[in-house]
Formats: sequence, C-alpha cells, structure tokens
Amino acid sequence: MNTNSNVYTVIYTTIVCVLVAAILAFASQALKPMQDANEKAETIGQILKAAQFDFDDSSNDAILAFYKENVASAILVDATGAKVGELNTADAAIYGTSDLKAQNYGVKDETEYSIPVYIFKNGTSVLPIYGAGLWGPVWGYIAVDKTGLNIVGAYFDHASETPGLGGKIKDDPGFRAQFEGKKLDFSDDKTFSIVKGGAPEGKANAIDAISGATMTSKGLDEAINTWIDAYKNYLNKAEEE
Amino acid sequence: MANLKETILNPILKGNPITVLILGICSSLAVTVELKGACVMALSVIIVTGVSSLICSLLRKTIPNRVRIIIQLVVVAMMVILVDQVLKAFAYAIDKQLSVYIGLIITNCIVMGRIEAFALGNKVWPSFLDGVANGVGYGLILIIVAFFRELLGSGTLFGIPVLSAIGYTNNGLMILPPMALILIGCIIWVHRSIDKSIQEK
Repeated sequence: MNTNSNVYTVIYTTIVCVLVAAILAFASQALKPMQDANEKAETIGQILKAAQFDFDDSSNDAILAFYKENVASAILVDATGAKVGELNTADAAIYGTSDLKAQNYGVKDETEYSIPVYIFKNGTSVLPIYGAGLWGPVWGYIAVDKTGLNIVGAYFDHASETPGLGGKIKDDPGFRAQFEGKKLDFSDDKTFSIVKGGAPEGKANAIDAISGATMTSKGLDEAINTWIDAYKNYLNKAEEE
Repeated sequence: MANLKETILNPILKGNPITVLILGICSSLAVTVELKGACVMALSVIIVTGVSSLICSLLRKTIPNRVRIIIQLVVVAMMVILVDQVLKAFAYAIDKQLSVYIGLIITNCIVMGRIEAFALGNKVWPSFLDGVANGVGYGLILIIVAFFRELLGSGTLFGIPVLSAIGYTNNGLMILPPMALILIGCIIWVHRSIDKSIQEK
C-alpha cells in the first residue's frame, strides 16, 4: 500500500486522533471520582491549615475525619451578612475553587452572592478568598477568631504562578506566617494591604509583599480585599455578638 | 540478538541521555530536590519512553512518512496525559509537587529523539527496551542528584531524617536549582574520567 498518498495520510491521522481521544476520554472518566476526592481533601486540608490546626494529613480519610470532628458548622452568607444556606458538615461538603470562581462575579460587582464561612468548634472561622494572580487564579483561606477581626492564620494556593516567585504565596511558610496576629480594619481605606517594599512598622492590617512577584502580590491583595469586604456585614455582626 | 545487551546498556552508560547527550537537563534541575519526587519522575519517564517507543514501533510500517513527527507527538502526548491523570488519582501530593514537569515530559527530547532515531527503524521488543533503558539512564542520574540534594539540603532521605538526626545544619544552596546543575556537572566529570572513550578530543 502507498503510505504516502494524501488520502491515506488524512485517513490515518484521523483514525489515530479519534483513537487517542477515545482512550483519553475513557481514562479521564474512569479516574475522575478519585481525582475529585483528592482535590476535595486537599481543599479541606488547606482550610484546616489556615485555621492553624495540627493534623494528620497522610490520607484523605484522615483529613476528612479531622475536619468533621472539629467543624461546628459551615454556612453560606450573602451581602447583608445574613445566613442564606448551610453546607452539610457530616458529608464534609465544601465550596471548591470552581464554586468560589462562580461566586467571584457577584462578589466583585458587590451584587448577589452566597459565600461560605467554615466555623470551627474552637471559635475560629475560615473565610475563602478568590482572585486573579499574574498567570491564573489565586485563592486561599483566611482564618479569623471569634471577633471576626483578628487574623489567626492564612493559606493560599494558585493555579500557575511562577515557582519561586509568585508561587511563594503557597510555598513560603514565612509569607503565610506574616498573617498571624494581624487585624482586619474596615475603617481603613483598605481592609488589609500587602505592601510592596515592606509594610509600615506597627501597622496592624498590612504585611510585606513578595519581592520579585509584584503582580501576584497585587492580585492577592485585591482578592483579599474584595472578598473580605464581601464578608464585612457578616463579620461586623460576629463582632457585636 | 547480541545487540540487545548493547541496546539496554548503551543508554545507561556510554550514551546516557543526561550526562553524554545533555538532554532533559531542565526537568532534572527542577524535580531533584527530594528523592521521592525524583523517583516518581524517573518512573513516569521510563513508562512514557518505553510505551511510546513500543507503540510507534508497532505502527512504524503504517505511519505516513510526511506526518510521522505529528503521529509520534500524538502518541507521546497521550502517554504523558495518561501518566498525569493516573498520578492525579493515586499520588495527588506528588503530582502537585512535580506540577508542570510531568506535563513537560512531552518536551523532553529523550522521548521523541529515541522514537525518531530508534523505534521507527527497529522491531517492537528492542524498541521497547531502548525506550525503557533511556528512561532508566535519565532516571538514574535524577536519583543520584536527588540523593545528594535531599541528604545535604534537607538532611533527610525519602523524608526520613538522616543527617539532621545527628546535628547537621542544612545547606540551603543544595535546595536551589543551580546546585543541581553543579552536581550534574560533577557527575559528567566523574563519568568522563572513568570512561575515557566519551571524552572529546
């Protein structure tokens, strides 16, 4: 057979591409449940890390069990700060990054949204944030105490920031540690600032940006401010109580 | 088939992809901070090179010559995505740690190079062995580099404290990519002083 004819080439490549696509689609379908379970456990692990829990993260089951044991409730709040829904904690139901992304439009426009608050038995609440970094989305979790204004801890993740520069929002424990003991200040122009060149001494609602990662720091700063401001009414209520 | 032994040994020693052909350097700098990651990466590359060579060798008589690179690319890409998907399902933490470098196996010149140079002109079994052996040659260097980097950089091996247990202060430079380059340079030096036949005149 003439393997160099045009007809043969076209038919051959078509068959190869269809076959490969079928194999990949099958593999993706077959592995999806396990991948989703891994992703969920990872997200819960990040929520727990933000809340400064010390837990066994060796297996998905251990993470889920620890979460279920320590979480008091997981509620959804709207712009007025009122509770509009609840996530089933017995199933360890959470808002994944795709859910946060879906809410991000409402949060940015300050219109309608329902965003989750994870409340733990020790009084810590974890608030998710979501925004755009330099190359892709950045998201994370900020843990606050009972008053809703004192930051207990934070954890961030990203889709495709540069490793070693923007990637430090996740990989550098020193960057995360800066959040501990800081405050959210709704009376300030910006509730929380990530300051390029270093935060002013003694300012309780600012931390240093990452050098060499200006755009990622800016993106994270914006993500934190938009989302925390979206939680403003809820947090103010929490403080009064 | 006296050549089979040669097929297996050559890519590991005399024609090692990293130290002699200087291919796949980029990923070997990135994934050698820890032994565990290096082992998974080595295994992934072995599977991708082995199976891709096998498939391309099976198809070699039917592949239209004008689009052979594209067909090779499709096969390699399929293998890389499969490996990535399986890792995401069964070794999520390691897949996260290796991040883009699993996907970038496709750009590793070793894979396409071996298919083009060997698998398209040889029978299935030798092609498979050649692919696997090249993966092993690559993985071997990866593991040697990762061994020193993890031992001296973090004081651990496979995450178990070894040097740090006896009061060793971690060498931060070992964690950084430049040190991997220096280590690979040292391995090339050692390799060439042992095997004089690969030294350039």
